[in-house]
This record gives sequence, structure tokens and C-alpha cells, in this order.
Amino acid sequence: MSIFEYNGSALVAMVGKNCFAIASDRRLGVQLQTIATDFQRIFKIHDKLFVGLSGLGSDAQTLYQRLVFRHKLYQLREERDMKPETFASLVSAMLYEKRFGPYFVQPVIAGLGEDDKPFICTMDSIGAKELAKDFVVAGTASESLYGACESMFKPDMDHEELFETISQALVSSIDRDCLSGWGGHVYIVTPTEVTERILKGRMD
Amino acid sequence: MNRVKYRISWFIVVQEITSSNTVVRTFFLLNQRVNDLVDISQLKGFRFEFSLSVEIMKLDFSGLESSAPLYGGSNELLSDGFSAAPSFDLPVTSDFDGFQKNSIQMVKPAKGTTTLAFIFKEGVMVAADSRASMGGYISSQSVKKIIEINPYMLGTMAGGAADCQFWHRNLGIKCRLHELANKRRISVTGASKLLANILYSYRGMGLSVGTMIAGWDEKGPGLYYVDSEGGRLKGTKFSVGSGSPYAYGVLDSGYKYDLTVDEAAELARRAIYHATFRDGASGGVASVYHVGPNGWTKLSGDDVGELHYSYYPVEPAIVEQEMTEAVVA
Repeated sequence: MSIFEYNGSALVAMVGKNCFAIASDRRLGVQLQTIATDFQRIFKIHDKLFVGLSGLGSDAQTLYQRLVFRHKLYQLREERDMKPETFASLVSAMLYEKRFGPYFVQPVIAGLGEDDKPFICTMDSIGAKELAKDFVVAGTASESLYGACESMFKPDMDHEELFETISQALVSSIDRDCLSGWGGHVYIVTPTEVTERILKGRMD
Repeated sequence: MNRVKYRISWFIVVQEITSSNTVVRTFFLLNQRVNDLVDISQLKGFRFEFSLSVEIMKLDFSGLESSAPLYGGSNELLSDGFSAAPSFDLPVTSDFDGFQKNSIQMVKPAKGTTTLAFIFKEGVMVAADSRASMGGYISSQSVKKIIEINPYMLGTMAGGAADCQFWHRNLGIKCRLHELANKRRISVTGASKLLANILYSYRGMGLSVGTMIAGWDEKGPGLYYVDSEGGRLKGTKFSVGSGSPYAYGVLDSGYKYDLTVDEAAELARRAIYHATFRDGASGGVASVYHVGPNGWTKLSGDDVGELHYSYYPVEPAIVEQEMTEAVVA
């Protein structure tokens, strides 16, 4: 098994009408053994910007701490929050700094940009940005997730429908993956509120 | 005329030339040397009578046999009295040892599963999960891992699905033939021995089978563990597969000989459930079978996802602070 499959993870982000959703599984494992069923993979940078980090758990936590540090410095200097596009460039640059000894993570960035326009993007472990207009996926269940999202996604969904869609896509994909699952964590972000929900999934 | 008695000891000399992982053995055959001497002596007009005591060094070469064939095709010296190993072209590679190990690893299916069986007062309890995984991908959640060999004997499947299914069916055939030939049912001991001998003869060829044979015969309940390495163990409690450590934990702490059928079924179900929770390669449906004096019966097949919420129901979260609309005065 490769290092990206050591801990197991599943991440997906989707765009709706003036809102976005980002969801992850909750399992932390050591290869086939499950260690925790409440592992946090999605982190808030500010109220309108979330980042999910799939791959090696230890690198995900370390990279998150570095990103929070950089964002806080930015806030002190610029006296405002970072735009998602800027944040994506920051993550990409930080990952490429470690080109020859990379962080074994695949980030998924989701945020509301100017005029509350939703923005999502994903990267590989050395910072190649992939901007998408509909959905992005990462993790050990990514192939299943691509299939599920492709078939379930519709453009311009409102936040209720978006929650249903992303939850169904996540749960059906992680049910086909040994290394991710044990519940789901979904964040729905609109210009006025952030809703965090925990999904009841198959615990096997 | 001189009659001379000679006591000659001839050793069979074995020469092993090892060069880049190939072994060539040269034998000096006994007959030729003796014949030579006899021919020469007859020319000279003497009669020799030998009594030969031949001390043959019995060297055990079974450890040297590898699944790769001997280098080169035919070798006349070796074909006398030795079965020709099946041969194919060796791959051209710089690291032959690593290649062989990697190719065996590639073909070897990981025993991603949880199966268990134990003997108790009322018979044998057999349980298994139903997930088939290929690396990280779940290929099926509904595999039948408890195989019905005949109405009073069950086998469990762990390892290669094809291997287990085929050889269990083959075992069922052999058991039936035994019944017809001997006018009595085969014992669990006999059936497990049949399977173990078959698997031993295929040892090293890449079969992956980790099975338990559970049944009820004239001696009462019987349970044997048989695997593709050729091992066969008699016992009262076994668990096989990647989830077996977790199942053993639950099984060992809850086991008593004097369990009732329902209690034993619940223990088996619980053990499988806990294994599916912790092990990524086990899941699906926990099936539980009971083998009694009148044969086996399937007791239950519960989806493990639902079992979790029946054992650990979700409590609604305690809401500490709730936002409500401010009442406009």
C-alpha cells in the first residue's frame, strides 16, 4: 500500500447556488486497522474558507497548523481575510517548497470569494492546482467519488439539495472503500450561515 | 586361483554447483564404477567376489526445491528415477530473487476476512463476515463465506475465494464417495485430513486457503483448522483472517463451554461485528450457523451496519446553546 493509503481518507467538495459544501469521512486507520472514528479532516480557516486535507494524517495536521499560521500573519498585515483564490495559491506554493520531500497530502479548498461566489479547487501533493466549477474529490475513495459525483451532481442546487447530494455521493463511495468511512462530516456554507452535520454511516 | 573378498564402500558423491540461483547436481552412479572394475578384472583372468556395503548419504533436498524449475531443460543424469519438474523460460531480470518474491506477492490474495468457529456444549457455532476486498477496493459485500459441504459439515472461506470454493466442493464430492463406498458417513477427522492432504500436495504453488471444517459425527462435534501451507489443527476455538485478532478478543472473553445456542450465537455475532468495526477488510453481513447432532442450520444473517446502531444507539446531542429569532418588541 502506498503512503497515501496508510491512514485512509475521503474528501469531496461541491458547488451550489451561492453556497458550497465540503464533506469528509471520519476514519483514521493504520492500514487495515481502525484507530479512531472521529478524525477531523476539514478545517476552518475563516468563516468563508474551509480546507480539507486527505492523505497521511500526520502531514494533514502539520500542514493545517502551518496554513493557520500564515493566514493569521496575513490577517495582521492586510487587516482582512484571505480570498479563496489567494489561499489556493498560498497552499500550492507551500507544497511546492517541499518538492523533493513532499507533504503526503491532497488538499481540497472550498470558499466563498468576492460577491459570495463559490470557489473550489484541489491539488496533488506537490501543488498542482485543479480548479473545477462543479465538484472536486480526493482520498483513497476518489475513483468511486468521481463516479458518484458525476452522476448525482446538478448545477445551481440550493443548500438543502446540495447537502442531500453530497451526503449520498460520499456515503455510497465510502461504502466501497475499505480504508475510509465510519461516518461522515459535512459542512454546508452559505453567505449567512455555516451548518456542520455528522452523517450516520456503515461502521464496517 | 585367488578368491579375494573385498569390502568396498562406495559413496554416492553429490556435487552442487551454485551459480546465480541455479543448482546443478551431479551424481556418480554406482553401477558404472563397479562394472568397470569387473571388466578389467576379467581381462586379467582373476575372479573377484565383492561384497559391497554401500553407505548412501541420504541427503534431504526438499528444502532446496523452489517453485522455480531447475535451470535448463533436460538433463539425462537427473531424469533417471527423478520426476521431471515442470519447466518454463526464466525471466530475464537483474534481481531474480526479488522478482520471484514480488510475483508471488502479486498473485497471493490477502486473507481479508473474519471467520470464526467454536465448539460448545450444544455443538459447533460457525460465523463469518461477507466482504471481499481487492487491496483497498471493496469488490463485494455479499460473499458466502460459509460453505455447505454436506448437510452435517460446514467449511469456512478465507484467502482466495476461487481456491476455497473449488476445494470445498471437491471435498464434498470426496465425502459423498466415501459414504457410498463405506456405507457410513465420513468423520470430521477424515474429511479434514482429505482436504489437508490435497492442500499439502499443492504446497508452494500459490494456493491461498485458510479454512475451518466444522461438523458433527459419531464422536460428537468436531472442528479442524486447515490451511494451504499444509497445516491441520484440531481445536475447540478458531478464528481466521485479517479480522481474527479482534474476533479472538471478544470470543475469548465471552466463551464458556456451557453456553446455550442463543447465547453462543450472540457471542459469535458480537465477535464478527467487533472485527468488522475495527478491520477495514471485513464487513457486510454477519452470518451465524449452528452445527448440531441433526446437521447444520443457519441462525442469522445480520447487516453489520445495522448491528452497530442496535448495539450502540445514537443519542441525540445535548444542545447547550440554541439560536432563536429575537422577538421584535
